[in-house]
Amino acid sequence: MANEQLILEVKEKIIKALNLADMTPADIDAEAPLFGEGLGLDSIDALEFILLLERDYGIKLKNPAEGKEIFKSVATMAEHIEKNRTK
Amino acid sequence: MRIAITGAGVVSAIGLDKAATAASLLEGRSGIGPLKHLQTVHSELPCGEVDLSDGEMKTRLGIPAATAVPRTSLLGIIAAKEALEQAGLCTHGAIPCPSEATVLINGTTVGGMDITERTYPTVDTKLHDCGGCTDIIAEYFSIFGQVTTISTACSSAANAIVFGSELIKAGRADVVLAGGSESLTRYHLNGFNSLMILDSERCRPFDAGRAGLNLGEGAGFVVLESEEHAKARGAEILGLVSGYGNACDAFHQTATSPEGEGAFRAMSEALAMAGLRPSDIDYVNAHGTGTPNNDATESAALRRVFGDAMPPVSSTKSFTGHTTSASGGIETVICLEAIRRGFLPGNIGWQNPDADCVQPLPEAVAGSPRHILCNSFGFGGNDSALVISAPDVKTADKEISSPEVKIVVRSAVYLEGADFEWKHLLNPMQARRLGTLMKRTLVASLEALDAASKDGERLIPDAVITATGLGCMENSEKFLAAMLESGETMMSPTDFMQSTHNTPGSLISIHLKDHGYNSTYSQGADSMASALLDAWLQLKSGKIRTALVGCHDELTPNTAGYPVPDGSLALVLEAVPCTNTPENENGLCEIAGIDGIGELDARNLYNAIERLAANGQADECCGPVKLKAL
Repeated sequence: MANEQLILEVKEKIIKALNLADMTPADIDAEAPLFGEGLGLDSIDALEFILLLERDYGIKLKNPAEGKEIFKSVATMAEHIEKNRTK
Repeated sequence: MRIAITGAGVVSAIGLDKAATAASLLEGRSGIGPLKHLQTVHSELPCGEVDLSDGEMKTRLGIPAATAVPRTSLLGIIAAKEALEQAGLCTHGAIPCPSEATVLINGTTVGGMDITERTYPTVDTKLHDCGGCTDIIAEYFSIFGQVTTISTACSSAANAIVFGSELIKAGRADVVLAGGSESLTRYHLNGFNSLMILDSERCRPFDAGRAGLNLGEGAGFVVLESEEHAKARGAEILGLVSGYGNACDAFHQTATSPEGEGAFRAMSEALAMAGLRPSDIDYVNAHGTGTPNNDATESAALRRVFGDAMPPVSSTKSFTGHTTSASGGIETVICLEAIRRGFLPGNIGWQNPDADCVQPLPEAVAGSPRHILCNSFGFGGNDSALVISAPDVKTADKEISSPEVKIVVRSAVYLEGADFEWKHLLNPMQARRLGTLMKRTLVASLEALDAASKDGERLIPDAVITATGLGCMENSEKFLAAMLESGETMMSPTDFMQSTHNTPGSLISIHLKDHGYNSTYSQGADSMASALLDAWLQLKSGKIRTALVGCHDELTPNTAGYPVPDGSLALVLEAVPCTNTPENENGLCEIAGIDGIGELDARNLYNAIERLAANGQADECCGPVKLKAL
């Protein structure tokens, strides 16, 4: 489990990247699915996440399919960032 | 009335004319390779580039080297010239003698972005504009009295051929040059890259190992006229446009529905119009981009149409790359060449069958196709299909006699600027991704549809037809600025998705889940007249009963001089019997006629409609539109 600080940071970045203007980090459950159910995000949001990982953490995904596991929830995303970040 | 093709011209990575194109297809020579002319950091991305610099094209065409001409227009002129010369209509250098009955319909989305990406933040709207690029093509010749541009992303050229055929059938044109032109730019190369749908190797449509598309560029045009008109002037008939269909997938801006609903409907409509059974089709020129998503869903749609009796299928994008807005024009010309030279093109690079995909013809084979189905699908689910037939086929010439109707404006909504209420119609999740223009388009449209409702249920129109000069300029500029600042590395896919001109129009159909006809016109100040004319002709002919026609534009500081208002107009039109019943009188006014394509200011049109609705006496003219009190 990634640390609380990083989880909060990821939530804030998601809100900004996806323009979820009316939401606060407290509205997002770190364990809840981001796609399909839960927030109900789609393939374009996944691409925005890929951009976010590269720009803010220096993590490059070659194939959008890799995102499937990484972007399951805020928790899985934070975990991946913690392990692979270069900045 | 049968629509004859009497001229065809093409330029792409596999040849600068028809003969070279056919030779490449027959000899299995792909045009996809490293970029030579486009200056970009993305040298890892192979493309189908036309092997001529802008300067070389200008020399060929006798255009002074110092004249700024978008590459899209240069490519368009090359293909248009070949088509007009074949039809005996080329008049470059002659004294201008335009006729209202000679029409140019170009499909493009990139327009003059090649120039804008070199000069930004300066935007020369005359060169940037899709309609401006079409004007440059028209001005090179001197015969066109009416000009318009369709911008439905990758189905633009196919929809140009559809609208051209409709103009001829309605007696609004004698001769139409229809097709599309599109140049490669850094802008959309990076845009497609941000969507992660580009293959860094040569694309392999329908292959189990396919990993995306390669972009291409070029142009393809055909000369259309009625069979009678062609025969009367002794023109050789190369083929027929015997059917077409346009439907909206109404699923997502960049993804296709799993069952290929829009594609299925477009193909089914085209077959029905041609009066053909699926077994009459001898070859399918597939959209076949090479992306995992497109090829699987197009295959699903093909299986729904053809069942177990699948005709030979191939994607010639494996040769040309995906020439986006031009593809429907280029592929129509390829279909004509297949008919005339007696072969079926192959699908180069295909090796591994995929259970989710049709198995394409890997290599060209000899054949004698009589009827060919040609698919073009665009972002936003703008799906179109054409049936191209040999000139001597027997097809039923169905003359549908439709009852006299009048076209009533049921409702009209006009919103300006960025300050408007939207929360009563959209929830924050629906609105979060929408820029100002997208949100305003949707709000004006939904309000107009609700106002036209007869039973409290929101009206779902038979057609959604949109006019926009520049599309979502705010997002386009955000993407462009980020591309230039980051050295082509950090751009938002959301901004790119919104930068195609058909995003507002397809957003409406996606929101309504409306699978009906959907098209977008981008011809500067003439966009709205083009869209209204399309709707009006379809309503008059009985093809549709209701239409949502809108004009939506936003102006940024860099495009402030562009000749359209910063506003959104949404009109609901309905065809009603000419008898005067209270039900038929329920509306704001009647559109009694549209003279043709010309300037039409959305704000003036709205004011004229409101005046007629309020005092209902004198008739009014607004640009080419004649309004009448009910």
